[in-house]
Amino acid sequence: MDFIIIQNMLNRSEDKVSDLIQSLVKTVKAYQMYGLNHPSFRNFYKPLYEKLNEFLSVYGILDLQIEKFTILNAGQIVYQENEKDLSIAFKLFRDGIRDVSFTEGLSADELLLFVETIGQTAKDQDLALGLWESNFLHLNFYVVEEEEEPLNYLIPEPQYFDIDYDAQVKDILNQERIDIRQAIDPDLSDKELAIINAEIAGENAVQVAPAITTMISFLDFEKSPEIIDSLEELLEQCINRHDFFNARRIVQRLNTFPELKILEKFEKEAVILGFAELPDTLDDTAFNDFTAFLGFFSRKTISYLVRMSARVGRKDRLDYLRQRIAYLAQDDPESLLSFLSAGDTMVLINAIAILGQMRMKTIVSRFEPIYLHADPRVRIAVIEALFHIKEPAIIFRFLEDPDQEVRINTLQALTALRYQRIFNSIVRRLRDKEFLKLDIAEQREYINCLVGVGDLKKTGRLLEKILFKWMLFGGKKYRVMRKLAAQGLAQLADEAALKTLTAGSQRKNKDIRQACEMVLRNR
Amino acid sequence: MNLYRSGKDLINQFYALVKSTQIYDFKNDVVLAAADKFVTHLDKILINAPQVEFLRYRDYIFFNKLRMRFEIEGYASLQFLSESFKILKLKSISFLPGITPDEAIRFAALFREDHDLMLKSMTAGDFRSVAVQFAGPDEEIPDFLQDGEQTKRTYFKALMVTKNLIQNLWTGQPVNVKSFRRVVYTLIDSISQDEYGVMALTTIKNFDEYTFNHSLNVGILTLAMGQRLGFDKKNLVKLGTAGLLHDIGKVEINKDLLYKPGKLTAPEWDRLKLHSLYSVRQILKTRGLDEISISALVSAYQHHWNYNGTGYPAQVPSEILPSFLSRIIRICDAYDAMTTPRPYHPIPYIPTLAVRVVWERQGSFFDPILVKIFLQLFGLYPVGSCLELSSGEVAVVLKENPGHIDRPIIKIVRNRDQEPVDGARIDLSVNADVNIDRAVYPQKYRINPAVYLT
Repeated sequence: MDFIIIQNMLNRSEDKVSDLIQSLVKTVKAYQMYGLNHPSFRNFYKPLYEKLNEFLSVYGILDLQIEKFTILNAGQIVYQENEKDLSIAFKLFRDGIRDVSFTEGLSADELLLFVETIGQTAKDQDLALGLWESNFLHLNFYVVEEEEEPLNYLIPEPQYFDIDYDAQVKDILNQERIDIRQAIDPDLSDKELAIINAEIAGENAVQVAPAITTMISFLDFEKSPEIIDSLEELLEQCINRHDFFNARRIVQRLNTFPELKILEKFEKEAVILGFAELPDTLDDTAFNDFTAFLGFFSRKTISYLVRMSARVGRKDRLDYLRQRIAYLAQDDPESLLSFLSAGDTMVLINAIAILGQMRMKTIVSRFEPIYLHADPRVRIAVIEALFHIKEPAIIFRFLEDPDQEVRINTLQALTALRYQRIFNSIVRRLRDKEFLKLDIAEQREYINCLVGVGDLKKTGRLLEKILFKWMLFGGKKYRVMRKLAAQGLAQLADEAALKTLTAGSQRKNKDIRQACEMVLRNR
Repeated sequence: MNLYRSGKDLINQFYALVKSTQIYDFKNDVVLAAADKFVTHLDKILINAPQVEFLRYRDYIFFNKLRMRFEIEGYASLQFLSESFKILKLKSISFLPGITPDEAIRFAALFREDHDLMLKSMTAGDFRSVAVQFAGPDEEIPDFLQDGEQTKRTYFKALMVTKNLIQNLWTGQPVNVKSFRRVVYTLIDSISQDEYGVMALTTIKNFDEYTFNHSLNVGILTLAMGQRLGFDKKNLVKLGTAGLLHDIGKVEINKDLLYKPGKLTAPEWDRLKLHSLYSVRQILKTRGLDEISISALVSAYQHHWNYNGTGYPAQVPSEILPSFLSRIIRICDAYDAMTTPRPYHPIPYIPTLAVRVVWERQGSFFDPILVKIFLQLFGLYPVGSCLELSSGEVAVVLKENPGHIDRPIIKIVRNRDQEPVDGARIDLSVNADVNIDRAVYPQKYRINPAVYLT
């Protein structure tokens, strides 16, 4: 790098360089004391980076020659420390580094990496290797080999045989069927160039998948402790990187050695709670890999998984996760049932939902104490759980719930379960004057429920009555009922219902006509 | 500013300028734009440097003392500059501050002329900010270049470390991983300075130390391929490590079998084939698990898998290609194995035949695109080849000529009467009077090519 402006180098102030080196030494010490993320380290590092960049913008380069206890710049000593343990010069010199130069364009990350590299305190640390491996763009260094004594090397003589060498060439040409006169054109086409560039770019990623394939192939041949250890190490890396596809492959293979208890060290509360944000952030494929990976955990992790999944925000992901946990718990709900007395509402809801996914009638009675839970979300969770367990008779009780959301959920569950025994009860409610006071959302659910659970004929007749009901007073208030009835008839979709709607669309009554026309249009 | 990148860009821009002056009038917009671009870039470099110098030494082009490497990207521009230096008999070109687009255009236009006109123009004082030096009869070694001794030291040091590593693994002694890791970096540094100088050392074939020599040679050849492919340092480290360690599993193979003279039986072959599998374990034992060893273990495992899915230790579905690095190693390993005497193969192929075999087996054994890169790098007559010339003389190939795979740089080592001589160094790409008759075994003339190359 000695092509840069020599004149500038000579003219610059030595003080500036000394100051920079002092600043570097302090920054390295701060790193050793506090680490990279501590504010105290930043207080040293930031001014160093600013000063160094300012220097490089003027002079282009900062070239430092390393001697045993000193650092020189342009022949002048800019740093001296004779105490081996403290001397940065000695540390660099010991590992063969004789010259370090920073060039313009040095990035903050590069300087940070340099500080980190030379600040390492491990005894077997090789600074030259550290610098090489850092692959700096704006930092050059020169390393001398450890042993400078002459290497004893001799050029060996080839073996000479008493044969006809030309005949040997001919034999090979015949054997390999080579036409030596054939012209060869090794130029690459644009397409080949593009292929090769893509391959080179692909090399920048860590090739974990083929490494796992390779090690698994090895295990198919021989159960090697080194390979198993390495796979375990890779498993940890994969989990930390949230690469659950490869983590799953490793576990699948190592699980064939049950004595290894491969996942035991990950079955810790802290590890599993650390996954909490993943269901909300992973893409679909990665999420599927994640949930599949959870399937390898033992039942003892269920309580952690319940707590972890309680923090998940995305409903679709949460539902899927609950199914996986339920699968993991299989026919042993005890660990989940203990959560029914949990103080944390989200955890409680989650536990109820998972228990519901287990679809075990034997646990229904365990829900009883929470039927009247103060939080309507808990009661809704119970309804959903009872829905999965197919217990409409118990769900029906929630129709009297003071919370509208709970009642709506109840109606939806009963509709989905097609619980016919409530037909008359629904009809009674529809005929009740109080029904008109309900919110439209709830009214709609009643109609839906009627359609869902009722006999086709009976329901059709009832809806027809509601649609065409003659009103002396309160017609406006009743308009919604007509609309809902029309929608219900459209849902029934049988011949009689369509006839009724067609007739309704020709009625003089505007409300009836409009309600029927609308549903017919939307069909 | 990345100096190497700057140099590469500048060469590309100069090439574009020269080409434009050969097609268009000097006042044409294309020429003016090319000159502007070139001068602007030059000015940027000249902010931090007193001058910009291109220098040719031993067929390498140096930009401000940095060796420019032949890589896929920018290959044509660098080859053009190298060829022009030869044709115009230039040693160096210096651009000084103050160069104008007009001066740059006039200078670029000289590249369509011959040596005499260039000499005339440059001595007539037509240029204020461009200076050239013409090449003398003897090449002077520029002071910034290290002696070839350093390359040799690197090679033999690497050989020693490789030998120690393998022997220690063989005997169950602790291995010096630090030294081994350093070797990879020093080889990369050496190859980036002078790949043909380092590649020449791979012609050293030590029959008794085949395993060590072969591992190192494959490491070097793969690094040279990686450099030609334009790999960055990190990927070169992966490739070099993989190349050096690809056969390390042989330490788990019984030495009697490994060095058995004569043909191996089928069960013995089966046993020997396991070395690529064992390499996986040995790499993990030696290096631990990091990005580099992950790459190396895959390459070692796959280095006998063929491009078409055949090979060992496992059959691969043909639609799955072996890893990129293992495909590179596959070629270099096969080439070095073919050209190296071994107990069961005492008379190896001469390099020319080995190159032809590689070419013939593209698409079946080897990746066809990588085979082309291999041919570009090694030429039809790789370094160390022994050639009979049309003149009746015998020569050894010293170096390839980029862009002329069949016209390398040679040294005459036997005269017409087959007497040993310290003959001329001839660049066949510029000397049309000398032609190659054929490549022969150096043993035919009792020649040891390594002597001329080291």
